[in-house]
Amino acid sequence: MNRSSAPIPLEKFSFEIPQISFINLSNGIDLYFIQKEKLPIVKLILISSSGSLNDPVDKKGLTFLTSLLIDEGAGEYDALQLNNEIEKLGTIQSILVNHDTFTLSVLSLKEHFERSFELLSKIILEPRFEETDFHREKKRMLDKILQLKDEPSYIATTAFEKRLFINSPYAYPEIGYEETSTAISKNDVTEFYKSNFCRSKFSAIIVGNITEGEAAGLFNKYLGSLKSQKSETVVNVSSGVKKNIYFIDKKESAQSEIRIGNLTKPRKADDYNAARIMNTILGGQFSSRINLNLREKRGLTYGAGSSLNYSKNTGYLEISTAVNIKNTSEAIQEIMNEMNLIRQNISKDEIDFAKSYLIKQFPSRFETYTQIASNISPLITHELPTDYYNSYVSNIENVTPEEIQRAALEYVKPDEAIIVVVGDKLEVIPQLKTFSEITPVELDLNGNIIG
Amino acid sequence: MVKQRGLSLYLNNLLKNPKMKTDLLKINYQKYSLSNGLEVILYQDKSLPTVSINIWYKVGSANEKPGKTGFAHLFEHMMFQGSQNIPKEGHFKYIQEAGGTLNGSTSIDRTNYYESVPANYLELILWLESDRMGFLLPALTQEKLDNQKDVVINERRQRYENQPYGLSWEILFSSLYSNGHPYSWPTIGWMDDISKFELDDVRNFFKTYYAPNNASIVLGGNFEIENAKELIEKYFGEIPGSDSVPQVTATTQKLSKNKKIIHEDNVQLPRIYLAWHSDKAFDKHDAALDILADVLTGTKNSRLQKNLLFDNQIAQDVSSFQYSAKLSGSFIVISTAKPGINIDVIKEEILKEINNLIVQGITDDELQRSINSIKSSYIYSLQKLETIIDHMNHYNFFLNEPDSFLFDINRYGKVTKEDIVAAAENFLREPYVELIIKPKSD
Repeated sequence: MNRSSAPIPLEKFSFEIPQISFINLSNGIDLYFIQKEKLPIVKLILISSSGSLNDPVDKKGLTFLTSLLIDEGAGEYDALQLNNEIEKLGTIQSILVNHDTFTLSVLSLKEHFERSFELLSKIILEPRFEETDFHREKKRMLDKILQLKDEPSYIATTAFEKRLFINSPYAYPEIGYEETSTAISKNDVTEFYKSNFCRSKFSAIIVGNITEGEAAGLFNKYLGSLKSQKSETVVNVSSGVKKNIYFIDKKESAQSEIRIGNLTKPRKADDYNAARIMNTILGGQFSSRINLNLREKRGLTYGAGSSLNYSKNTGYLEISTAVNIKNTSEAIQEIMNEMNLIRQNISKDEIDFAKSYLIKQFPSRFETYTQIASNISPLITHELPTDYYNSYVSNIENVTPEEIQRAALEYVKPDEAIIVVVGDKLEVIPQLKTFSEITPVELDLNGNIIG
Repeated sequence: MVKQRGLSLYLNNLLKNPKMKTDLLKINYQKYSLSNGLEVILYQDKSLPTVSINIWYKVGSANEKPGKTGFAHLFEHMMFQGSQNIPKEGHFKYIQEAGGTLNGSTSIDRTNYYESVPANYLELILWLESDRMGFLLPALTQEKLDNQKDVVINERRQRYENQPYGLSWEILFSSLYSNGHPYSWPTIGWMDDISKFELDDVRNFFKTYYAPNNASIVLGGNFEIENAKELIEKYFGEIPGSDSVPQVTATTQKLSKNKKIIHEDNVQLPRIYLAWHSDKAFDKHDAALDILADVLTGTKNSRLQKNLLFDNQIAQDVSSFQYSAKLSGSFIVISTAKPGINIDVIKEEILKEINNLIVQGITDDELQRSINSIKSSYIYSLQKLETIIDHMNHYNFFLNEPDSFLFDINRYGKVTKEDIVAAAENFLREPYVELIIKPKSD
């Protein structure tokens, strides 16, 4: 048989985006609801707008510690009893904090969903915040901060964000630093809970094998007393960050961790889709320019890529890789080359490929209950319309090559690039000096300039 | 297929919802072999817009020889370097352009490759997989091999050498298993071995292990059965089978006395690993050992989390698991000490709790909590087609029956409190390997 060319695909199979209902509950909570019957499963995500952005400068880590403590005992249950009640249902509950949001999620069997919801409502409305639990969780957090000193990847990412977002709340990691976390008292936590968490904007997503009426009914029954408020935090993220090269000494490291990037625009910018297509070509997937160059052509790394990240108030480009330490300068040089090259030219083939990739993968993003719910989260964080996904495909199709090329100029800025390298300084410094007119600046493990 | 009635009733009771039963429990499939020996399993689910393929080659790092470790994994990389009709990186390019996802993985016992694409691209994935199953070698070059050796060497640096505690697994298993045992080296391979591989190694490995009669394909998702059968025959039927595939054998492992290894690493906190030999996958005590691990460390109320993390607050974390494979299994407990805590104190508490469990037994609540969580995780895993069909290949590999979901969950349902104590007594009273990774002394 002739195998020389790829088989022609059949006609596209039809795909319906799940129907998203938007319900504004009487207590002000925005509920996004999708009924999905295939399995006896319900996924719930409850999002509070009280992210770690508002942590006081000398108490960074406060929101994070509150998230550790909030499910350590609630209502009539102490910490172990409460966890036992959740665990015996086979329910998976998780609580996560980022700069913009405080998120509580539940994945439960349908038959146990009401009980899971009831337990979650106790955590939200009646956390105990007991002294012994506070000390245990605070110590756990401080010991975690200590352990993070072992993680080159974490050190590189947090130092990169610190230098990029200098002087804005996005500059600090959610978990805080040893000094700032040590300063947090139990009173700080209860005060944060009352003044921030309870007075935040709440939104909820339910994807599951229940009806819309059942879902709304649970909120009225168990979370009726929770009043969602409008809370608007506008944070100005300064631009004007200058191109700079930083390094952090990690003795005897087998590789160097590299982060390169620059501030971009918020998610709601008009050229979001053009930028997304551009990044898909630059470093957003395996067959991207950066990965094919650094991995498949040069063998410098196990993988390299770029991402456009968005917080509520800002956006940024982050290119990341880990390379053999001897190839540090070569890798940085190649990444800078790719940043310059994409600003000059993007071919039609690349655009066709990227569009095809983004459009055709769309149906597969609605497979699991958790995936579907996760697709809704950005609609909340970035205040996008409920019917956003209805025009997803046409929005990508309609982007012109000129818009994509312009996005490269506006989102990829080698002249403003922040470069962070974590590795053994004896190996790294001589390499950094060879290719740049800028003197490399040494940082400590927290991203502060030394000396 | 003949289904075991008792099992269905059991799960039905668990779910308490008769309507759910048929949907959930019926993994309808067809299994047959091509004349070249390739096993084919078809699992249709027309509710999805996608189709997924999952191929298991029955070769893993256990098939390697000392001095040539890491080759099964490096070979997996070479399978993405193109074949006679597919250019280098072509697999990624074709699949991604179709909006699909793809990857592969290598374990001690097997290597798998999988792709998911929109259902209208079914023929594309069959073309890609069959081209590298049948026609890999014509496209092989020294340049590609050198490139992927560099990539894998960097993978080893990134995932093991530059990770805190990253070398613990290879130290642990090379101590638990005797020299030359197929499970005694890491799947990624020793660094010296990786750098030495040559083109002839690739050719020989391909000819020995990548024959259709050493593989099984599960195709899942939205397709027509008859059409899929025709296409599979068209693409895979002409690939010749091989005579015979060498099988891995190993001696039974038993430690005559405890072994202790101390390794210094760039870490802040000391961590202890305790490892015992245990049952292999699906053997008599395998399920009981899974539950034992859950009772010991699976939840905040588990024995060791409660003791070490909650009551005494001497450890930062603790976990345990039954790691069972084709030739043998091991039971492993891991814990990281809090600052200032002597790791020996943690070890004593772990051994004390294991002893308490053996002497005093476990409670009905502990057993029930564990079984509920296993049952739920089984149902959660049914959300993803890729997971289902990989499970089917897993069951086919170990049990020669792709639809063993019920059998598997029932293994846990049948475990009694006494079984768990018996499993602990049987294995955890035997000699063990103790590995301590501790901060470097300056």
